[in-house]
Amino acid sequence: MEKNQNTLSGFFRNNRATVIGVLILACAAAYMLQTRYLSMVLDFICIYTIAVTGLDLLFGYTGQVSFGQAGFYAIGAYTSALLSKNMGIPAIVTIFLGAILAMIFGIIVAFPASRLVKHFLSLLTIAFGQMVYTFVNSNSMTGGPSGIGSIPKISIFGFTLSGYQRYFWLVLVLVIATIIMKNNIINSRIGRAFIAVRENPAAAAGMGINVAKYKIMAFAISAFLAGLAGALYTHLVGFISPDTFTKDQSNMFMTMLLFGGIATIVGPMIGATAILAMQELLQQFAAYQTLIYAVLILIVLFLLPNGTVGLYTNVRAAIAKRFRKAREGDEHV
Amino acid sequence: MLTLIVGALMQGSVYGLVGMGYGLIYKASGLMTLAQGDMIMIGAFLGMTFYKYMGLPFGLSLALVMIIMFTLGFLIERILVTSLLAKGAAQVYVILCTIAISMILQNGAMFAWGSNVMQFQAILDLSISIIANNDQADRLQEQAVGIFFMLLLHFFMQHTKFGTSMRAAAQDETAAEALGINVPLTKGTAWGLASMLAGVAGVILGPSYGVYTAMGALIGQKAFAASVAGGYGNMYGAIVGGIFLGFVEAFSVYFVSSLYKDFIAFGILILVMIFMPNGLFNEQVME
Repeated sequence: MEKNQNTLSGFFRNNRATVIGVLILACAAAYMLQTRYLSMVLDFICIYTIAVTGLDLLFGYTGQVSFGQAGFYAIGAYTSALLSKNMGIPAIVTIFLGAILAMIFGIIVAFPASRLVKHFLSLLTIAFGQMVYTFVNSNSMTGGPSGIGSIPKISIFGFTLSGYQRYFWLVLVLVIATIIMKNNIINSRIGRAFIAVRENPAAAAGMGINVAKYKIMAFAISAFLAGLAGALYTHLVGFISPDTFTKDQSNMFMTMLLFGGIATIVGPMIGATAILAMQELLQQFAAYQTLIYAVLILIVLFLLPNGTVGLYTNVRAAIAKRFRKAREGDEHV
Repeated sequence: MLTLIVGALMQGSVYGLVGMGYGLIYKASGLMTLAQGDMIMIGAFLGMTFYKYMGLPFGLSLALVMIIMFTLGFLIERILVTSLLAKGAAQVYVILCTIAISMILQNGAMFAWGSNVMQFQAILDLSISIIANNDQADRLQEQAVGIFFMLLLHFFMQHTKFGTSMRAAAQDETAAEALGINVPLTKGTAWGLASMLAGVAGVILGPSYGVYTAMGALIGQKAFAASVAGGYGNMYGAIVGGIFLGFVEAFSVYFVSSLYKDFIAFGILILVMIFMPNGLFNEQVME
């Protein structure tokens, strides 16, 4: 197997699951791109996947909880909206400026956060999210409760990404870039340090890992990705108001991550897709939406402790076990 | 200025009352709940129903609210939280579980009582003539009820047998269990008491805040902030922290703007966490 790694057929053989998965996703995407509404859903799935992937690096890999991701999401969104609308900077540049500003805030939050644990970290991130929400809600620069409208569309080399279908190609590129980046991080020295910090900070420090540095790094990356997702959301919808950036949004990112499964590559994608699909399907039961959503969280907590990915792993392990037993039985006969 | 101080004390003692609940839960089970704010809301709705719609006397309504809220908190701990922990779930999943509970409570309240803001009359009909302003008289009454319950809880924890066993269980679970203390019962009771306190806060806040489904969300978070500022897990710290937060808010409304009230309150909370991570009463929170 290893010999073939460099050839194309060897690549396909080694990564069969990945290749099949990508093909299925491509077919699904192609089907969804046919209608405007489904393309919009697809865009949102990509945007949420970016944000949840960031949260996964922070919570899933480094073990640092954040209930304030909506704060970073809002910083990215508002920065990009204001810069592109008022300063005339091209939107394709401002989405990254928004993400970078969110990252700077992530680092600022991370300094005290890297010293706190458990509930206090939760509280700090909640307080941060709440502060950002109050700020955008009461500031005249951000339009207060009424928000900002008619935000310019993103255009690349004079080609405006005006519809949901066109927008998809941009978010698709960014999602793929995000996932590749995440894959590279977790398979590198940094990723292993993240996991060491999650598993046992004291032991990690004993091994010479600078725990605070890696915690701050994880916060910075997750804030960057949340900010990027926020900025992408802004230019997709063309209108933002503080209502989008409440603590419910933070909780939604967390639910998506836990539903999909933490510390996996596909978990955030599955979680974002499943929760978004659920929300869209439940739209007709508007009054019951929150209730069903909450019951769903409880179901996930009690029945799928490792998320959907964990379920898949468990089922596969059970099947493999059965097959092995059957084979052993044959040998005995 | 007097108005400001009275307002701050009043607001602060509500934060303290609810904050004590967080402290109780943390001491007893090392966990954190985010549903405390919605317990305030449920308490307010129940109080309003008993007092206004069913015409029960105030004392009876309050007692009923307390019993129901206690049972609710107790059952949440016994049924949901314990079985979640028995599955070996990390503590953050318990937090998420309480988020789900808070959503269910809010949504359930919306079905039961509708989504409008409801009003009910001030609870006790004492005429306090020291301060002419009617609104302030209400607030003083509320504060008196709040302080009464703080003292009651203090008495319960310090001078009753069950309170003593609760404190023992919080200090060392294994040793307490070996001495024949029913530790699961003390944990459930702590959650029950916490939601009972929130329910009482809801009943006394109802008249001045108006009763609606989202009324508790922000108070719950601020009460949490108060209990952290005072030293998490310390019941008395929560009161001091609550009053501190009440003053911060009142003065930021007075000197800056009411728009930035929450911003400043949470900002100060973050500063407290950075510079005094052990709170005013030096409780251990760092790694």
